[in-house]
Amino acid sequence: MRRMLTYFVRRLAAAMFTFITMITLTFVLFWLIPSEPASFVYPAAQHLTDYQIGHAHHLLGIDRPLVEQYGDYLWHLLRFDFGSQWSGAQLVENKVLTEQPIGPQLASAVPATLSIILGGALLVVLIAVPLGALSGRRIGSIGDRTIMIIALIGICTHPMVVGLILRTVFGNQLRWVDPGGYCQLTADSSAICSGPVDWASHLILPWITFALLFLALYIRMIRATVADTLHQDYIRTARAKGAGEGRVMTRHVLPNAGLRVLTMVGMEIGTAIGVCIYIEAAFGISGLGNLAVTAMFGTVALDLPLILAVVVVITAIVVIGNLAVDLLYAFIDPRAGDTLRDRETKSLAGGVI
Amino acid sequence: MVEEAATTQIAARPVEAPEGPWRLTLRRIRRDRWTLAAAILFAFIVFCSFAGGPIAGSIVGHTSTDQFPYAANENYKPVGPWTRVSTASYIRSNDYGDILPPRKGTPTTLLVLGADSVLGRDEMLRLLDGGRTSLEIALFAVFVSLLVGVPLGILAGYFGGFTDSVISRLTETIMAFPLILFLIFASVRLSNTLTPIGWGSIVPEGVFAVSLLIGLFTWFYPARLVRAEMLTLRNAEFVQASRMVGASTSRIIRRHLVPHLVPGLLVWAAIAIAANILLEVGISFVGVGVQASTPTWGSMLSTTWGTIFSPRTYDAASYTPWQTVIPTVAILLTVVALNQLSEGIRRALEPWSSR
Repeated sequence: MRRMLTYFVRRLAAAMFTFITMITLTFVLFWLIPSEPASFVYPAAQHLTDYQIGHAHHLLGIDRPLVEQYGDYLWHLLRFDFGSQWSGAQLVENKVLTEQPIGPQLASAVPATLSIILGGALLVVLIAVPLGALSGRRIGSIGDRTIMIIALIGICTHPMVVGLILRTVFGNQLRWVDPGGYCQLTADSSAICSGPVDWASHLILPWITFALLFLALYIRMIRATVADTLHQDYIRTARAKGAGEGRVMTRHVLPNAGLRVLTMVGMEIGTAIGVCIYIEAAFGISGLGNLAVTAMFGTVALDLPLILAVVVVITAIVVIGNLAVDLLYAFIDPRAGDTLRDRETKSLAGGVI
Repeated sequence: MVEEAATTQIAARPVEAPEGPWRLTLRRIRRDRWTLAAAILFAFIVFCSFAGGPIAGSIVGHTSTDQFPYAANENYKPVGPWTRVSTASYIRSNDYGDILPPRKGTPTTLLVLGADSVLGRDEMLRLLDGGRTSLEIALFAVFVSLLVGVPLGILAGYFGGFTDSVISRLTETIMAFPLILFLIFASVRLSNTLTPIGWGSIVPEGVFAVSLLIGLFTWFYPARLVRAEMLTLRNAEFVQASRMVGASTSRIIRRHLVPHLVPGLLVWAAIAIAANILLEVGISFVGVGVQASTPTWGSMLSTTWGTIFSPRTYDAASYTPWQTVIPTVAILLTVVALNQLSEGIRRALEPWSSR
């Protein structure tokens, strides 16, 4: 118990470190990269006068000392206040700036993206476990090769293309499901569509798109683990005791694969968010990926609060996800420390985005 | 008595030079049919990409950037494979806006795989030239990431301690964040400085920029691989022995440790080339890749499907499946070949591991 606690505390410290590093890195990059935030305040101006620049910087709050800005941001972040974005700011009577707050945007974007990722991940597990087990029992057979080739096709067709094809065929032409958009899960009478049924029918195609990309990875891994495990002594023991093939699989072989799947899930959370950029674009969902791309492009100038918000939220999702995986891992297999995690690296799908 | 006979038999055998690890590996690969096929396929793809474009271009008599407006119909639907189209440089129409057939006597040209879009460029030549661009990006990016990742991995793994924690924490932090966001951010910021760097038609504008950025954001993989290998090797007996006879650190690393890294990196590089090709497709869909006129496999797909800012849905009247199928099959073949090659190399180098 004590060991588990220290392990958890160490993981928590590492997570905090990651978090702070990403925020600091964003600030430092913003200070280093030349960009003129005053153009957000005076979008029509051809040439900004010194007065305009000074006034705009004062209104945006970037004339303060750097340390103060940094500390101020962290202080607000502690209370989940993401501030307001600079893009689209309106100067009223040259005195006050009306800005759009970022919080509400995030509140609508994050659930959409998380829905895609979590539902897609569930679908991946549901499909990958049986196929991987089937394939791993007879490596090199026709069935195994077929499964692997289909899985590779999934990796090689970009999620954007897959998404748009699925949307056109099943959404626009066959009209089996809704062709795009997002409906919130909780019932809301004021919205056009809401509730679990609408939610799922809008998301089923994004889930399939998501699953097709990641299937290859997980099938391959489960297949390898199953093939490895089937030679172990305890499998022979189990068979000798008279356990049926089904029981051997579900009780003795697959739990092993579960551990490695868990490791991999932790590693791929960032990748999954990246993939969501394309899935959201293909299905017209305004989610986190969409917001992130807008922030990173910054056509006028760098929109620091928006970039920071995106970085903070994505890092938070990754960090919390990893913490959960670590905890689960320590719970399932207490002997495993960092040793196993260190050896695994992201695989082919890591390249897709 | 029997034992004695056995001993003499062994002694009587002629002494052969022991087989080196590389010859042994090569022999194992030659015996592996699938891997051999994959190697031949990949060599064929590389040959087609680098030499196929000019050769095919001189046979059909146009280049991958030539536009044939008559290769698309009034719904902007490009023609399918093996079509002869007029080389007229503009579309004739009458006073009512109806499209007229090309003037009699204008020469025609053959589009082997059809046209790419409403612009009517040769899909086959774009496929071949696009393959060259895509492979150039993928290969150079792997080179860049090796150049950065291997030294850092050696530093972290061999010396350990503070250097190791700094490098490891940094890689972990950056690996957690979606790679594509870094790439978009860096591409937008650096496009003015980096994109114009090119070298004629051999290295089109933007290829250097994209591959440099991919390389600079993927060095974590080789760095982690090298670090893990170094951790297990740095206290191996042969390293201690060479330390004992007074070999310098740099000599130990160069002569004794780096050769051990090659197998792992080779296996990684084959997969990384495939991953970089897919990454380039992703970058094309964001619209920050190489110049639009330069074909790549990614830009061939994004010409058809649009970018993430303006995705296009399929419309049977103005789309042909060929525009999607052709680049996808090319990507698939390359990835399958590289994947099998990587598997085969690993199996040949470490036959004892069953994975």
